[in-house]
Amino acid sequence: MNVGLLLILPFTGAIATFLAGKLNQKYAFYLAELIGFTLFGLVLSIFLSYDRPINVAIEWFSFGNATLPFGVYIDHLSLVMLLIATGLGALDIHFSHDYMKEDPDKPRYYAKILFFIGGMILLVSAKELLGLFVGWEFMGLASYLLISFWHQTKDPADAGVAAFLYTKFGDVFLFAAIGILYYYAHTLDLQYINLLATWHQIPDNVSFVVAIFIFIAAIGKSGQFPLFPWLMRAMEGPTTVSALIHGATMVNSGIYIVARMFDFYVAAEALVVVAAVASLSAFIGATSALAQNEIKKVLAYSTMSHLSLAFIGLGVGSLSAGMTHLTNHAVFKALLFLGAGAVIMAARHNKDLFRLGGAWKKLTLVGLFMGVGALSLSGIPPFSGFYSKDAIIAGAILNPKTYGLISTLTIIAGVLSVAYVFRIWLLIFAGKPRDIELHERIKTPSKFWISLPLGIMALITFVLGFYQKELSEYVTGKELPEAHVEYLLPLLLSAIILVGFIVYKFYKSRPDARDKLAAQPLMKTFHKILFNGYFVEHMITWFVKNVIINSVSKTLNWIDVRVIDGAVNGMLNLSQKIFALFNATHTSKVSNQAGVMILGLLAVLVVIFIGSLV
Amino acid sequence: MSYELLIFAPLALSLLVYIPTRNLGGTKYVALALFVYMFSKTIELYKQLPEHGYMLLGKFLEVKAFDFVLTLQVDRLSVIMLLLTCVLLILVTLSSWSLTKKPAAYFSLLIFFSGAIFGVFMSTNFIWFFIFWELTLIPMLFLVGIWGAEGRIYAAIKFFLYTHVASMLILLAFFLIYKQSGTFDMTLVKEAMLTTPALIWWLMFIGFAVKMPLFPFHTWLPDAHVQAPSPVSALLAGVLLKMGAYAMMRMVILLLPIQAEKFAWIFVVLGLLTLLYAGFMALYETHVKKMVAYSSISHMGLIAIAMGAMSYASLSAALFEMIGHALIISPLFLIAGFLHQKMNTWEMTDMGGVMQKAPYLSAIFVLAGLGALGLPGTMGFIGEITILISTIESFGSWMVVILLGSLISASYLIWTFRRVIYGEMSEGVKNANFSMNRVEFFSLLVFAFLIILFGIYPQTLFDEINQAFGVYFTGGTL
Amino acid sequence: MSAFTILFAFGLLSFAMRSSLLLKLLSLLVLVAAGYLTLNSYALPLNGFSLTSGVALFEVVLFIVLGAAILNEDENINVTQTIFIGTASVALLESNTLLNFIISFEALSVISFVLVANVKNATQASGAVKMFIAGSIATAFIVLGAAFYLFENHPLNSGLQNVETFGTLGLWLMLMGLFYKLTIVPMHSWAADSYAEIKASHAALLSGAAKTVAALAVFKTFSPFLLQNLEFNAPILVALAIVTMTLGNFLALFQKKVAKILAYSSIAHAGYMLLAFVAVKSAYASTSLLYIAIAYVFMQSALFTLIGNLKENASELSLEDLKGLGEKDKITALIFTVQLFSLAGVPLLAGFISKAVLVYAVVDADLPIVALVTLLNSALSVAYYAWIVKHVYFDEASLDYELKSLRFAPLMAQFILLGGTIYFGIFAFGVFKVAF
Repeated sequence: MNVGLLLILPFTGAIATFLAGKLNQKYAFYLAELIGFTLFGLVLSIFLSYDRPINVAIEWFSFGNATLPFGVYIDHLSLVMLLIATGLGALDIHFSHDYMKEDPDKPRYYAKILFFIGGMILLVSAKELLGLFVGWEFMGLASYLLISFWHQTKDPADAGVAAFLYTKFGDVFLFAAIGILYYYAHTLDLQYINLLATWHQIPDNVSFVVAIFIFIAAIGKSGQFPLFPWLMRAMEGPTTVSALIHGATMVNSGIYIVARMFDFYVAAEALVVVAAVASLSAFIGATSALAQNEIKKVLAYSTMSHLSLAFIGLGVGSLSAGMTHLTNHAVFKALLFLGAGAVIMAARHNKDLFRLGGAWKKLTLVGLFMGVGALSLSGIPPFSGFYSKDAIIAGAILNPKTYGLISTLTIIAGVLSVAYVFRIWLLIFAGKPRDIELHERIKTPSKFWISLPLGIMALITFVLGFYQKELSEYVTGKELPEAHVEYLLPLLLSAIILVGFIVYKFYKSRPDARDKLAAQPLMKTFHKILFNGYFVEHMITWFVKNVIINSVSKTLNWIDVRVIDGAVNGMLNLSQKIFALFNATHTSKVSNQAGVMILGLLAVLVVIFIGSLV
Repeated sequence: MSYELLIFAPLALSLLVYIPTRNLGGTKYVALALFVYMFSKTIELYKQLPEHGYMLLGKFLEVKAFDFVLTLQVDRLSVIMLLLTCVLLILVTLSSWSLTKKPAAYFSLLIFFSGAIFGVFMSTNFIWFFIFWELTLIPMLFLVGIWGAEGRIYAAIKFFLYTHVASMLILLAFFLIYKQSGTFDMTLVKEAMLTTPALIWWLMFIGFAVKMPLFPFHTWLPDAHVQAPSPVSALLAGVLLKMGAYAMMRMVILLLPIQAEKFAWIFVVLGLLTLLYAGFMALYETHVKKMVAYSSISHMGLIAIAMGAMSYASLSAALFEMIGHALIISPLFLIAGFLHQKMNTWEMTDMGGVMQKAPYLSAIFVLAGLGALGLPGTMGFIGEITILISTIESFGSWMVVILLGSLISASYLIWTFRRVIYGEMSEGVKNANFSMNRVEFFSLLVFAFLIILFGIYPQTLFDEINQAFGVYFTGGTL
Repeated sequence: MSAFTILFAFGLLSFAMRSSLLLKLLSLLVLVAAGYLTLNSYALPLNGFSLTSGVALFEVVLFIVLGAAILNEDENINVTQTIFIGTASVALLESNTLLNFIISFEALSVISFVLVANVKNATQASGAVKMFIAGSIATAFIVLGAAFYLFENHPLNSGLQNVETFGTLGLWLMLMGLFYKLTIVPMHSWAADSYAEIKASHAALLSGAAKTVAALAVFKTFSPFLLQNLEFNAPILVALAIVTMTLGNFLALFQKKVAKILAYSSIAHAGYMLLAFVAVKSAYASTSLLYIAIAYVFMQSALFTLIGNLKENASELSLEDLKGLGEKDKITALIFTVQLFSLAGVPLLAGFISKAVLVYAVVDADLPIVALVTLLNSALSVAYYAWIVKHVYFDEASLDYELKSLRFAPLMAQFILLGGTIYFGIFAFGVFKVAF
């Protein structure tokens, strides 16, 4: 009963919210808030009354002699994701009250947010890959609609296109995987597929291909290399959207799907690929984050990097490490994003880091909570981020397959997070305001609507640090890998402190040193590469535009017009020529006509004569 | 009632409606009433259908010496097509509600068309099938040629001639069948009776491939669809192309299964080419209606691949996608035409930001577009997944390449949304008035509703579709 | 008492009549009576004439068409000639000896000459002369052929007998001469000009009635000869038929004058008719020719009479003049279009089913390639018919639109002919029931 409501409520709620909002904009918020918290309440009740996985088999439709299912399966893994999604969702809606206050399109906004939450719920509650795919696509749609929420302007509209198409590229691979799995496994049931793979009932090369295909989809959805540029562009959307979707929930779906099919990946021996790609992404994300000058872009690259870390956790064979990091990251990233949102809102929707500064006085609570989030992200105990990050790095080093380049990249990415997060914290809150006029206009945000959600999340990320073991056991029944690497802990902590110190120097106490360094030509090049995300987006756009559209499409278009249709139109020319030919045989002079008749007759007679001889 | 009236009454009625010299504005009501009546009769017919097989409705105008008899027999497949046709006729009539140029002639042509198309789906005699098949071209010729856009004359004549030539191949095939089997009755001809089945198969395949259309016989469609008035485009795409697909199913696959299996590869080859080629064409287009036309062709390619797989599942999937395609592509055409009507331009570069001035219209456009790219929740997704699964089953995993078509569709559709619906308002959009006739908007709502309804509850359609094909496969006769 | 007698008698009588209305009314009555007599199997009461059910059917159809033609006529003398054409046709159709055939055929030719000799201007005169000269040459061929046939000791006053070399030569000579009337290549050039140049109502009678009657009669008389040596005769006929069709269709494509288009279309249709000769071994051949003849006589007569009514000097009628006809005169345009579509082979009209049966006969005679060529030719012809229709409906009327609308009697004539086209398009059993 609860489950049914959980699945239906978001969608019907979305429609109701939209309609209610058309009557009065305020109703949209209150209804959305109500539904958001109700959903969380439902999840909580399922969580508390849980004794075994909820397993409901439903047949969706049958065509020919095939049947497609759409069942429900909720276990610990799903519940963790559900708690994150609905919990953060509810807080996000609460936060939106002030953030979206002046926007005239509130009904549309709240409806889409609810629709999104519904998609997420669907994704993690699905018994089969089909239901998962439906949820996956729903979220993609919601993401597209919300990124281009302010579609009246160029950049958000373009960002929406990029988001949809990058993820669609990945989605196509997931779709293909579904087709292939149905054929080889004759089922789409996730639990069953995992079993079949473990027992090697599916040919090994097929499972490998399927695993890679699914991972490509995960790359798309979670913004890994090379499909990450959309995530950065997605920052055009409202920050509340960035927090919920691109910080905390949708981008986790990639990790979720690999986690869900973990046994499958183990059997297919595809985990090392996951780790490899993820480590590269982690590195790219972390380094690029250093060079950004917009708050949200930093956070976006950071998200990419941390998701990579979670993938690495999975990739090195530790489901618990991956999932705990996912959970931890969801909380502190949402916290940081919403905090950034509070800053942006207060600073009159200004996102440029270099125009802020010294906001501590006016935005104390926000600064405090964001500081907590930053500490968690950096991996400083006792905040939650530390434990999972440490476990992942340990796992990377321990696993013989990933020891080496992958573990190095992981460590660098892990350590650099300190750098970029403190950079933004310092640039926003510390020191003197760089743009005095802007500073004057900053308003302290509402405690109830803005600071409260931030505070709750800060509290959670703190408390969660003490429950890491319970968390990992809950998700996987296994413990986090111990850091058997003895020197790791002290080494990490030292590195973190060192980096933190450098950043402090650069951004707070000795900015002149930084500026001098930045003026070096080599540094300028580095900066350019990092700022542009290693030019991956440029390359992809170039390829699509020049190869696909202007070469392939254009050529085919030419062929269609000139060759194929040309043949059709050529019939006309041909007919004219034949007409002219026949016309030449026609004559108006009677004597010639008579001549033709007689000649014709003679010709026929000759033929008859010859024929009779033969 | 005598079912041949469903054919001949409209044919006669169309004349009655056309002749009075005053341009009656009331003809649209007559047309609507007629179509609703025909729809109700078809539903009645559907309820009377037996579990499997054909139901004889009557034999008329018998000429034994030539086996030239109007045999009206329907089975589930034909009635499903009839139902689809009725729905589209009603919605197309509603979409033409605000027509001002010669409405009497327009609606009389639609009425004529309805009689002819009923004849196509109800006749099981080859000659009469052919008669009605050809007859459907006549109202189309006029509808495009008179009410079409700037290039209408070229488009109408090209369409007429191209499909007519293809029909000649079909007629020859029918004659060969008669010569070799002694009967013109579709239900009695068995493949074993024929001495040159391969030749007959290829003649029919090419003839029907032009209608569907399949690469490389597709070039008549962009012109015809683009120049035709939008409701007529919807009718062309929704009904006429399905006629081709239906004929392909009936006569090429179900009638000649051994040849069809031998030559199944051509379905896959041409289907894939059509799917991808048309997709790339749509990607390059900036003419909004042409883009929709190529999208339409692309989807027919997908249907062709499914037909080529020739299994119970794949044919069911193909039929579902045929219905889906009709319901999805029609609103796209209607709205594209509407935009042209209000802005006097076809180019997407002149448009932009339509959502800001016509939100509900844009929403339906986006919904239909999402259906075209196969988003779950719409019929388009059901079509794609069923076709994917059934073709992999028949041909192997490499069939996942059809998803490339899905990716290309997504690209051009989302890009179209960006250029037309979203973004900043262009000058043209700022100055245009997008108020749409209520009745016409209602028909768009119906399309949108059906796209979602069958996307969530496809079983409602599949129950009937499965029964339509079940008889061919469960009896083990294929 | 037979159709021939009363028609002949009335023809002679009509010379004395002055009143146009009375003349027309009586002619119609006489035609009805003739039809009645024919249906009751009253053949020509002379030796060497007989009536089969197929012939009877066609004669009735012919009388209907002639009746429509008479309704359309304006001058008394034309009415008289029409009656005489009817007379000669009956004789020709009912002949079953070669001598009767030749005499009736020549009679028909001479009457045709007299008909077109009623010229009003130079163009008509030119058309008439061309026809006359071509006809004379043809007659020469026919007589020479007959002579060769006689040379082989075959009697003329019986049906065709099996022939040796000279006989074959003779009969082929005769056929070529007869092909003049049927406008088969290479005997077609006169028609391309004449049909377009003479008065339209005369052209209707010539290209409609005379041609079909001749075709049927030739088929009936010569089919034993064709069957005798089929492997030899068929290829020649196939070649002639295909060339005729193709030439006719292509030359009609880019014409500007409507009458010229109809003239070439007529030549192309003659090519189709010749195919029945090609397919003579098929059981469907005779039925198909009968059907084509019936369909064709309705369509062609309707079209020529119609354009004769649209413009005084029909040979001047151009495609440009037709623009906007659909708007200005719905009924005329509709009739025009339907008959054109029938020629094109649009179903539910006589033109389609007749052509379909004909093509089937060709397929049945194991000539599928020829059938394909015919079908493609038919598709080609659709191009120019559609082009005419385009001018009628898709174009706006020009400022100097000057087409006349039909008066009552001609309109009735058109309805009769239209009725024939539609009736025989849907109800085919009548044609299949009879034996030809």
